[in-house]
Amino acid sequence: MTYETFEHTADLGLRVRAATLNELFADAALGLFSMIVPDLLAVRPLETVSLKIVGQPTDLLLFDWLNELLYTFEVRHLLLAQFEVAVNEQGLTATARGEPIDRGRHVLDHEVKAITYHGLKLERTAEGWLAEVIVDI
Amino acid sequence: MAKESFQGPFERTSDTTWRIPKSYRQGMRVDGIVYADDRLVELIRHDQALEQVANVAFLPGIQTASLAMPDIHWGYGFCIGGVCATDPAEGGVISPGGVGYDINCGVRLVRSNLTAADVAPVQTRLVEELYRQVPSGTGVGGKYRFTPGELRRLMAEGVPFLLSRGLAVASDLDHTEAGGCIAGAEPDLVSARAVERGYDQCGTLGSGNHFLEVQLVDQIFDEPAARAMGLAKDMVCVMIHSGSRGLGYQVCDDALRDLRGAPEKYGIHLPDRQLVCAPVDSREGRHYIGAMCAAANFAWCNRQLLMWQARECFETIFGRSWQALGMSLVYDVAHNIAKFEEHEVAGRKKRVWVHRKGATRAFPADHPETPAAYKHVGQPVIIPGDMGRASWVLIGQPGSMQQTFGTACHGAGRVMSRTAAIKHAEGRRIDRELADRGVVARARSWKGLAEEQPDAYKNVDHVVDVVHRANLARKVARMRPIGVIKG
Repeated sequence: MTYETFEHTADLGLRVRAATLNELFADAALGLFSMIVPDLLAVRPLETVSLKIVGQPTDLLLFDWLNELLYTFEVRHLLLAQFEVAVNEQGLTATARGEPIDRGRHVLDHEVKAITYHGLKLERTAEGWLAEVIVDI
Repeated sequence: MAKESFQGPFERTSDTTWRIPKSYRQGMRVDGIVYADDRLVELIRHDQALEQVANVAFLPGIQTASLAMPDIHWGYGFCIGGVCATDPAEGGVISPGGVGYDINCGVRLVRSNLTAADVAPVQTRLVEELYRQVPSGTGVGGKYRFTPGELRRLMAEGVPFLLSRGLAVASDLDHTEAGGCIAGAEPDLVSARAVERGYDQCGTLGSGNHFLEVQLVDQIFDEPAARAMGLAKDMVCVMIHSGSRGLGYQVCDDALRDLRGAPEKYGIHLPDRQLVCAPVDSREGRHYIGAMCAAANFAWCNRQLLMWQARECFETIFGRSWQALGMSLVYDVAHNIAKFEEHEVAGRKKRVWVHRKGATRAFPADHPETPAAYKHVGQPVIIPGDMGRASWVLIGQPGSMQQTFGTACHGAGRVMSRTAAIKHAEGRRIDRELADRGVVARARSWKGLAEEQPDAYKNVDHVVDVVHRANLARKVARMRPIGVIKG
């Protein structure tokens, strides 16, 4: 697992490390959904969603990506737990898999209100990439 | 971003106030002023909240000072517990971060004719009925559905729209801040996405720190004010804490996106992107204000429908109408909002945009906006504490108009991060501990209860003590919880 949560008094921080940008974006998505549904293994890949986001590959693209996933979850009540992401100079294309919320099998945890810009970070490290984002709970 | 203690200058200026001088950082236009006592100040220094107080002092058009209430803690952009007034005539800005994602998150208090003895035999049944009937938790929709046209009317008209639908009575409106409808709402400026996120959420609690509590009045501090509110010792009350749900979160998110280029466009230097803002008199500023007001009206309707469902649960359990049970609304306050209000600044009356981010309006007696029933005592200020200890009702005092743009605190304020609270709860059963204190708690998740456990918060009594001594708001009654519903 290359994502972890970190402390923030009122909300939750998400820190992700990965060798490539593609992995970083996929792992950030896993990190986000792990806040909503702690047992990601209980989410079956029954439905596929294709997503495309336009924008330079900066921290704002990461923000928009997570934001789009949050919106998809909230409006379609769809839990997502598998991600393939291809980041390029124009933005990203992604495939996400999951299933609608099933109260019998899914124990939901946090309601993530929003992704915030506070402390938003995406940077290169010696090992690859590092991202930090704080979400509003 | 790590959790670090504040290292900047922080001087005591009175029994209840501390100052971050504007000389601390180049770009600060005013001082930071924080309300606290010795006990609280040690907790406040712990994270980056004070740095955020200094950041807010950068905003163009800010008046007097960047203010923070004693329940201040680290937020995103603005600290939670922050108050900032800007003057449009001086290039003043509006900042969505100064309101927060949960636009018009707030609290309402409902009284009843019931006493502890009436509830004792049915305490668990009552809490379970509330838990079953009042929608709560992540991804849960409500029983009230509105067509797109109705939703637009709801956002434009606020609680008066629900009155026309038989889901509110006149006294509910009288006892809601702004009458449950803030002027200037522009539902057409609320995005399709925001409507999509909110259409089935009006009348739902949500999760996080939102709650519905059954409480008992355990102490009265001001008899005449308590009488005006219909409160007495040993009385059963209901307190509801929620906001504008997904609709409001999306309105804030849309505005932050719309404002991404605004600092550059308007030549505003900001130390944190989350503080992004635009002049009140700009396209971006007016756009946000119209959408924010629409979301605020949605939030008042949400709390109205939550109260309506709570009244129905009491009717089921006690077999009498809510009117017969005396379940009238004491008051409803917003604690995440920006409002255009008249205040005196350096001896001159002016209209300013008061941002209250985790702070409550606290207008004194005789203020034109204080409702008739409270004109002689002051506006009720509802302060939720934590689910094990206490919550409070205060009344606004003249000192709030002189010092804080008519504002007091909004709660206890977190002291423990969510992750720390989970660690602190390991191996414990928070619900059983609460039961030992006489509190029946029902929550969707163990984690939810663990994160919101009493130890995660400052002692609300200490917070209230500071605003009382600073003459911002005066103690009227203290309530203790006996039933808790969490998302």
